[in-house]
Amino acid sequence: MPRSRLALVVAVVAVAAGALGADRTYVGTAVCRECHGGGHRDQYAAWLRSPHARAWAALARPESLEIARLSGIHENPFANPVCLGCHATAADTEEWERDATFDLADGVQCELCHGPGSEYSSAEVMSDPDRAAAAGLRSPTAVTCLICHKEKGSHTAVIDVRPFDPDEALGRISHTGRGGELDPPPPLPRSSDPDFVGARACAACHEAGKGNYIFSGWRLTGHADAWAVLTGPRGRRIAASEGVAGDPARDEACLRCHSTASGSSRLGPGFDPTLGVQCESCHGPGAGHAAAGIDAAPPARPNRETCERCHTPGIHGMPPTADWDDRQSLIDHSLPTLAQAVAAATPYKTPFNLVVSPDGERLFVACEASGSLVVIDTTTRAVVAEVAVGQLPHGVCLSPDGARAYVSNRGSDTVSVIDTTKLTVEQTIAVGDEPHGLTTDASGGTLYVANAGSGDVSIVDLARGLETKRLAAGRGAWDVARSADGAAVLVTNNLSHFVPFRTPSRSEVTVIETERSVILDRAVITEANLVQGISTAPSGEYALVTLIRTKNLVPMTRVMQGWVMTNGLGIVWRDGRVDQLLLDEPENYFADPTDVVITPDGRLAFVSGGGIDAVAVVDLDRMAATLAAATDRDRAETLPNHMGVSTEYVERRIPVGTNPRGLAISPDGRFVYVAEALADAVGVIDVSRRERVATIDLGGPSDLTLARSGERIFHSAEVTFGGQFSCHSCHPDGGVDGITYDIEPDGIGLNPVDNRSLRGILDTAPFKWTGKNRTIGRQCGPRLAVFFTRIDPFTPDQVVALERYIQTIPRNPNRHRTGDTLTPAQRRGKRLFEREFSNSGEPLTANQRCSGCHTGPYFTNREKNSVGTGTELDTQDVFDVPHLNNIYESAPYLHDGRAETLEEIWTRFNRTDRHGVTNDMTKDQLNDLVEYLKTL
Amino acid sequence: MTSLNTSRRCKSTRRLPGGLVFAVLVACLPLTVVVSNAHGEAPGDEAAPFVYTLWETFYAEEGGLPNDHIFALRADGDRLWVGTENGLALYHGGTWKSWGEKDGLPWRVVSAIAVSAKTGDVWLGLFGGGLARFSGGRFDHFNQFNSGLVNDVVYGVAVLDDTVWVATTAGMNALNTVTGEWEIYTEKNAPMEEIWCYSVDAADGKVFAAVWGGGILEWDVATRRWNAHRDPDREMEIDLYRDDGLIHIITTSASYVDGVLWASTYFGLSRYDGRHWRGWMDHDSGLASNFINFTVGRSATSSVNATDLGLSVLVDFASDTWVSYRRDAEDAATWSAHVWTGADELATIATNLDLPNHFVIAAEIQGDDVWIGTGHGLARGRGVGYYDGVRPPASAAEPQGDTP
Repeated sequence: MPRSRLALVVAVVAVAAGALGADRTYVGTAVCRECHGGGHRDQYAAWLRSPHARAWAALARPESLEIARLSGIHENPFANPVCLGCHATAADTEEWERDATFDLADGVQCELCHGPGSEYSSAEVMSDPDRAAAAGLRSPTAVTCLICHKEKGSHTAVIDVRPFDPDEALGRISHTGRGGELDPPPPLPRSSDPDFVGARACAACHEAGKGNYIFSGWRLTGHADAWAVLTGPRGRRIAASEGVAGDPARDEACLRCHSTASGSSRLGPGFDPTLGVQCESCHGPGAGHAAAGIDAAPPARPNRETCERCHTPGIHGMPPTADWDDRQSLIDHSLPTLAQAVAAATPYKTPFNLVVSPDGERLFVACEASGSLVVIDTTTRAVVAEVAVGQLPHGVCLSPDGARAYVSNRGSDTVSVIDTTKLTVEQTIAVGDEPHGLTTDASGGTLYVANAGSGDVSIVDLARGLETKRLAAGRGAWDVARSADGAAVLVTNNLSHFVPFRTPSRSEVTVIETERSVILDRAVITEANLVQGISTAPSGEYALVTLIRTKNLVPMTRVMQGWVMTNGLGIVWRDGRVDQLLLDEPENYFADPTDVVITPDGRLAFVSGGGIDAVAVVDLDRMAATLAAATDRDRAETLPNHMGVSTEYVERRIPVGTNPRGLAISPDGRFVYVAEALADAVGVIDVSRRERVATIDLGGPSDLTLARSGERIFHSAEVTFGGQFSCHSCHPDGGVDGITYDIEPDGIGLNPVDNRSLRGILDTAPFKWTGKNRTIGRQCGPRLAVFFTRIDPFTPDQVVALERYIQTIPRNPNRHRTGDTLTPAQRRGKRLFEREFSNSGEPLTANQRCSGCHTGPYFTNREKNSVGTGTELDTQDVFDVPHLNNIYESAPYLHDGRAETLEEIWTRFNRTDRHGVTNDMTKDQLNDLVEYLKTL
Repeated sequence: MTSLNTSRRCKSTRRLPGGLVFAVLVACLPLTVVVSNAHGEAPGDEAAPFVYTLWETFYAEEGGLPNDHIFALRADGDRLWVGTENGLALYHGGTWKSWGEKDGLPWRVVSAIAVSAKTGDVWLGLFGGGLARFSGGRFDHFNQFNSGLVNDVVYGVAVLDDTVWVATTAGMNALNTVTGEWEIYTEKNAPMEEIWCYSVDAADGKVFAAVWGGGILEWDVATRRWNAHRDPDREMEIDLYRDDGLIHIITTSASYVDGVLWASTYFGLSRYDGRHWRGWMDHDSGLASNFINFTVGRSATSSVNATDLGLSVLVDFASDTWVSYRRDAEDAATWSAHVWTGADELATIATNLDLPNHFVIAAEIQGDDVWIGTGHGLARGRGVGYYDGVRPPASAAEPQGDTP
């Protein structure tokens, strides 16, 4: 055959093989065990005795909730892909990729290490090692083990984890067969009218949902291992010593107490004797109970006699068993419910934003940590009700008549509609990603919701309770305010526009025309970001917004020279002109300006300083006079950076509780209410006296947990020189501010680094783009003082607390994946992510595949690698392999943030295929790959 | 009237890059020979169509338009967006505003424009520069490097609900503006015999793509399926069986209005009502030329067609009444309007339109007015007293425009 034709054939076969690989399915242990389940090939039993078999069930342990929480996962670990990635097999697959014989509850099964078995599992294929390998059979190595067994901070913080030695571990789980003929177990006596259905059938009701994972609880007991122990050396030794001649796992005398339904001829189709002492050993045959389903009568409760049928004193020469109560505790499988555990773990309130009723009598406070809307009587200054809403409620507004409260739930992408008389949630409306601020139009018919995640504004028809359209905002749409005449709604945007590499930020205030609900204008605020709070002047002449001016293009050590971050207000005039004025004073900064309100008479503005626990009082007439006295050039170039003028218009700073966020003003203008987020309180400022006159306790716990203590440190600017900024200033909501920093004092512009999210990162160590820091503690320890804060470093206790808080910052739900179903494009993209051959049929090495480095549940091998992205500005070309979870929410990309979009990673910055082989991909393939990446 | 069709000569342009196509076609113009023997004939008492005799012209040298080479026109209420070879322009309330690259326009050649009815955002096809969203004064740029756009040579753009449809030289794109997902349609996943997509229109749950050499592709939003409309005569330049389907597979644009598809080709005009096809060529109708650059439907019974020999308006489908506007001679000072019923020319009416050539690239309807864009300027026909269809002379409105 001519060489060219041969090459073509090879290519076609290779591509076909790649395609086949994509169609491989998981068959489960039941299929593997047909050949590997007895005689000289008892690998099934060896696996069954190993912790791998209990990996799924281990998630039912109470500790798993704490581990999950330290991974930023505040949901059921059984439903979380990160947890399941190492506690189950095929967790990232769609339903069609799992055969009916596959059971997720079997934990880390054969196929997690050996690959999906549909194409190699037949005896015919397995008899030929090369053929089996070509069909997908993998031989795991230490690298395979380390995908899951590399040290995880979340686990070592909670449970006693031995250091992992992959070579030793591989030996420990070794299950090499001894060859010879197949010796399958004899067929079971199945019946169409069974008595026994087996534990898997019980799991249908007694596992997920209201089942409260009782099946997993049982699987963690010795009962579930009862059959498996017969196959181990100890079991065989005991059997032999008691006169059992053959395989104890097939001996009736042994099976009577080491399995269930021994001797019965009426076994259901799913009954599996290898699961040991199952539910029906103690509760009796369950066929009738299972058939009755939800209407079933409670099963028989075991008593002492039940147990002592097998646990006879002195059995196997063992000493008499401990007392009855101890025995029961060993097999206890009544676990606390997940809801109970979660409720116990998050008792704080964390008020974020608040609004006063039109009559001034009620205050409605959105509390993020408790997922509730707290209602306060402003006369008695006491909490009168608390209404549960969605996850992570952020913003709240009222209908013009005060009859409805609307709460944005940034964790569940919804708005809760609450009847303010009945104090019940009437309706939940789906909106965009991570909704934050919201307001109605003047008529109350339309709701405008700023979606920080999707960077747009949801327009909601309140009569229909339906989102009708989305308007593109800037990046990180944050808060909204209606103009005095009601003709416009203004939207702040937390993140800067994408700007050319090494140029200052440009942020936006988006102006929406309310009559048509279309974008009218976009006011640009130069050299500013974190534009968050907004309030419109009663005169209609301008709006005030809070902002930070981040000097990210010079090393952050310049904090000593006076400024790295300055904090102030933007004045957005009706004609689109924008002024900026600082609220800082030299060495007395106003860190993290968060929200602003203007008094009804238009004379004063109050601004919350989240990082310095104060509220600034701004005299707006004097502010206007300051601007009026300046030249146009001064207004454009000098005043935005001038820390010497704030005393002209800032009357004073009023001390308030910890981490002030949202502000609201009473209709009569007498009081300003302050959401003191980390004090679980609302502060009351008397406007005429310019001081806080009362504090309303929202009912959070008085104890300060380690994480809460860390959260306060995270949000405090006390830790930086002059109080310029807090950790939160760069990581709002624990995420990113979307800009690239020059951090180290190694020369202007050298080693630029893109900011990275802190959400759920604990188990993605090492940290920093250089991968130099193995722990968050090291990342936040003394080096922080060297490179960022330039004052005394955190004390060790502070570092511990800060680390604990960062560990608990919640990871957002993935907005591009629904359950375990992928869209066709995502499915195609997954094949490309895992492909083993290029489009021309060339085999790809592990380093040439996406999944080679971006592996495991975090999609990182946690190593460093060079992918050709270093530039002349970098002193090294080896960078940390970043995790890819929720990658769509952390643009820009690459270590220096040069790629504005995921596409650009490959279209512009992978010319030599060092960042995986991608240049052979067609445009539609690249689109598919991007769609899949968004699901991770 | 005898009209010598020149379009067949130009078939050799099929594989030329888009910009070059225009240049070659302009070069073909002097070879065009048009002989009229019906000037000044009035239709007597027969019903008559409205004729645009009152025109305004706009040129870059007057200030306003950034460039005289007009590629795209899009009416947005009382505003008109104009895409030119060197910038974007907006005409509103009698004044012009324009944007070039120095103003943030990501690419100077604006070849297509669509306005989202939901958001009001303006989507711009950039010939060689990809796609842009113009919203609140901000341009967002999408190209084949930073997004899922399949190719930067964009010929057409349309918006339907939350989806932006883009016709490119390498296939069709659909961008879901809510999810951010880009879909690509090429020969791999659509009945696309060619991937050079010249135009797209979308309305009422349907998307129509004019594929240069591939006919018209119809996308049904509900079923997410393509349906191909091709010329049963395939690539034959004659219409073997009249009204048996699309008149030719070399299509240049599609316009879907009131449930009727209008499709322009380089070999005539087609109309499809979902059941029946109807085709027109210059020898059997008032169509000035078979070489149609663009069509826009006013209704199910009327369309405006930009041809290489002027503007042809099918005024009334039922009576097959046409009005074609063109220069009758190279040295003519103004254009004339020719009124036709079927193959019979009824009248020739003078207009004040004085654009220097009648190679019409773009056309748009704005209320009662009509706009045309050429390689040398833009013009608006004022529809003062406009009426749809045809009317007996007695019931026709005051002829502030004009009627024959």
